[in-house]
Amino acid sequence: MKYPVTLGVNGESFELLVEAHKPLLHVLRDDLNLTGARRGCESGYCGACTVLLDRQPVHSCSVLAVAAVGKEITTIEGLAVNRQLHPLQEAFVADGAIQCGYCSPGFILTAKALLDGEPQPDSSTVREWLKGNICRCTGYAKIVSAVLNAAGKVRAGEGR
Amino acid sequence: MSAEFTVVGKSLKRVDGVARATGRITYGVDMKLPGMLHAKIVRSEQPHARVVRIDYAPALRLPGVKAVVTGADDPGGLFGSRMSDQPMMAHEKVRYIGEPIAAVAAVDEETAEEALGLISVEYEPLPAVFDPCEAMQPGAPIIHERMHEYKYWEGWCNPRPGTNIINALVLRKGDVERGFAEAAVVVENTYRTHAIQHVSMEPHACVVQAETDGRVTVWSCTQAPYLLRGSLAAALRIPASKVRVIATAVGGGYGGKVRLKLEGPAALLSMKTGRPVKMVYTRTEEFIGAVTRHPSVIRMTTGARRDGTLLACRAEVILDTGAYCEAGEVVLWEVVQATPGPYVVPNVWVDGYCVYTNRVSAGPCRGFGWPQVTWASEGQMDALARELKMDPLEIRLKNAFEEGSISASGEVLHSVGFKECLQRVAEAVDWHKRERRPGRGIGLIGFTKMSMPQTASAAFVKLNEDGRIGLMTSAVDLGQGISTALAQIAAEEIGVTLEAVEVAAADTDTTPFDSGAISSRQTFHVGNAVKRAAGDLKQQVLAAAATMLEARPEDLEIRQGRVSVRGVPDKSVTLAQVGTATQIRLGQPILGRGAHLEEDIVMPDMATGQSPKPAPYWKYAAQAVEVEVDSETGKVVVQKMVSAHDCGRAINPLSIEGQVQGGAVMGLGFALMEEMIFDEGRVVNPNLMDYRVPTSTDFPDVEAVIVEAPHRDGPFGAKGVGETSTIGAAAAVRSAIADAVGVTINELPITCEKVLDAIEARTKEQKLPG
Ligand code: FES
Ligand code: FES
Repeated sequence: MKYPVTLGVNGESFELLVEAHKPLLHVLRDDLNLTGARRGCESGYCGACTVLLDRQPVHSCSVLAVAAVGKEITTIEGLAVNRQLHPLQEAFVADGAIQCGYCSPGFILTAKALLDGEPQPDSSTVREWLKGNICRCTGYAKIVSAVLNAAGKVRAGEGR
Repeated sequence: MSAEFTVVGKSLKRVDGVARATGRITYGVDMKLPGMLHAKIVRSEQPHARVVRIDYAPALRLPGVKAVVTGADDPGGLFGSRMSDQPMMAHEKVRYIGEPIAAVAAVDEETAEEALGLISVEYEPLPAVFDPCEAMQPGAPIIHERMHEYKYWEGWCNPRPGTNIINALVLRKGDVERGFAEAAVVVENTYRTHAIQHVSMEPHACVVQAETDGRVTVWSCTQAPYLLRGSLAAALRIPASKVRVIATAVGGGYGGKVRLKLEGPAALLSMKTGRPVKMVYTRTEEFIGAVTRHPSVIRMTTGARRDGTLLACRAEVILDTGAYCEAGEVVLWEVVQATPGPYVVPNVWVDGYCVYTNRVSAGPCRGFGWPQVTWASEGQMDALARELKMDPLEIRLKNAFEEGSISASGEVLHSVGFKECLQRVAEAVDWHKRERRPGRGIGLIGFTKMSMPQTASAAFVKLNEDGRIGLMTSAVDLGQGISTALAQIAAEEIGVTLEAVEVAAADTDTTPFDSGAISSRQTFHVGNAVKRAAGDLKQQVLAAAATMLEARPEDLEIRQGRVSVRGVPDKSVTLAQVGTATQIRLGQPILGRGAHLEEDIVMPDMATGQSPKPAPYWKYAAQAVEVEVDSETGKVVVQKMVSAHDCGRAINPLSIEGQVQGGAVMGLGFALMEEMIFDEGRVVNPNLMDYRVPTSTDFPDVEAVIVEAPHRDGPFGAKGVGETSTIGAAAAVRSAIADAVGVTINELPITCEKVLDAIEARTKEQKLPG
């Protein structure tokens, strides 16, 4: 049984027919082709599927699409504005925080939520925030420093 | 560093960084084709059994199900790395829980999943064996009855049909008995390592399209497109060129995505339905149906003089490869060459065995057997240091390989930055002035790894009409940054900026042969091919420009995309003018070609393992770890980790640091957190809740140290580092724990319980009178 829903994603609104049990991750990937939300474990343990729901990071594999109705959904595709990268994206590229990149959207979005609420985190706060996201490539050092560098740039007004 | 270069040696941003940061890159799991079906695999529930009957008629009746395939649809070709022992789908019998028995294609994933429940399999169970030592005993159940029929590469394999030993190799040097007789101390220990999973964040994924002309097109997140093509063609019994493999982006591989996996059943389903078929492993399937690291049992006896000079080493190495080789035969081949570690040992006796058991296959896994032998060899170095009351760093430096040392196989070693690695990590942890505090300790160890021989790389480099350079290879960028490194090599060689190079993705129809992202070989092998191809292109450019400028080619130089007469800068043409002229006016399009050659490799003698040059190159590294151990709970907290790697020449230091840090943390996971737990061949923790991998709060930042001992055959002297980074962590942690609380653990993983038990046992021992 499919239900008509309206989802607000990256500032656009989409009318869709979705089954009640469908995770948001599948709707984003399969129906909206927003594949930046990655499929890693589909059980809430890896963070590859992280998106922002009303600016808070959630594992989209563990949220039903119907539960996202009326909320503001942000995926990695919605982060760069007018082809201008978000300072976090800039920092991830410049600092070598991206290797295979599969985990990167999840980390970047989680970090964005952190910086939105706390513009000057210390490194242990960053580590604590990121612990729901697994990166198998980098060993985390460069991810943490990229987030700290991006925070500095955001504070200096070099980005949003 | 690298002042003589303009592009090489610089920490330039990755060419694909923005694509990855914005999520706009297509991984295997993202592939979509019109009319595509989705497939799932029915997996064996038995560790060893005859398959009596498969009933899938009810599944075919489920609306949306389009086809089911079983072993009966499989043309029956076997595939493998150096030993071809594996079918795509089980034929008659199954050898592990999780082996593919049937596969179903349906209109969507949910329907395919539902259909799995409608397929029933009747088994006739056979006796099974799960322990590699038991599997080697006479009378053990035989897992591969037709071993004598298997095809393999000469020089790599020595199978023993009628047993479960699929490869038995030796290394012999000098006279070990005499060495032990002369030794002042002899230490003997048994070491065990466990199975871990790669846990690539992207699961295995592919789309396969059987074309109407009999060709098969595969989109896969493979690490090795040409190896996949070869395996799939062999399994389907069709010519290799009938298969086209197009590499998607890869979301992590670490060795787990080298071999043919789900592409086989997907191909059979596509052939049956005529439609593209997509398959993606679940996380559980990654654990039960992909590959693991090889568990091992290593017995090692080492003798040394009173001053610490090594005299003899005898070792028995047993690798548990599970149900199929999956390159286990090559893992054994590699590690037998340097089982005693990167040290001069005059007398060596190694017996190595790669053994089948009834569990999911072990395969290539970052480090490729070297974490296992390093666990043993470095344990021996620590044990000798203790017996001799020597400093662990000193005994290593005393015996360490250096330029010109003779290896156990008789090779005169070149490009050996090992001592510098040891010294640099010692400096970084202030080894000689380190503070002694109860419960705190530092471990410092060293290790080596070879890059395997008999692999090949070729490159095409073309000049476009706009003067930009197109780079075509079948290298795969798993995240290590190889696209950027190759572009840097091409740019340096030609005389253009990194931005002027476009890197094409691997496609076996158009990009040339490559053995792929294995054995940390791409920087060295593909790098060499690219450097030669770029050199070839440069010569062609100079010749064409010479005609255009009415000058002699040898008087010309290329700088910043412009060809000019040396000393007469205004007499010049741009690369764009050359590109346009050669393609459009002169009819001589410029395509540089190059390949990596391995002329000096000598395969080791099967009777002795001796060879003057068994490997293209060796990598060297050292790691130091500082830990704090809670003697009440046994909990080990890593406080600091330093990892130094001899990479020959750092093409892109930022990428190398990333490899070193990431590999080290993976190694710490292997040491302290990760373990696939088996019960009678069944993985009992096949998910990320019960199998924990390191997260951002588990370990500190790893300090990466780059050492450069240029290799005469490497591009600009470079060697690979990707896999080496993982190898030593476990051994370093063990040494640090011993330093902290005086107990030694020789069985991985190092759990709180094992540490606590060892502390208790030692306390009891100390209380005993006498
Ligand atoms: S896919 Fe959602 S947490 Fe792993
Ligand atoms: S960059 Fe590969 S998993 Fe994080």
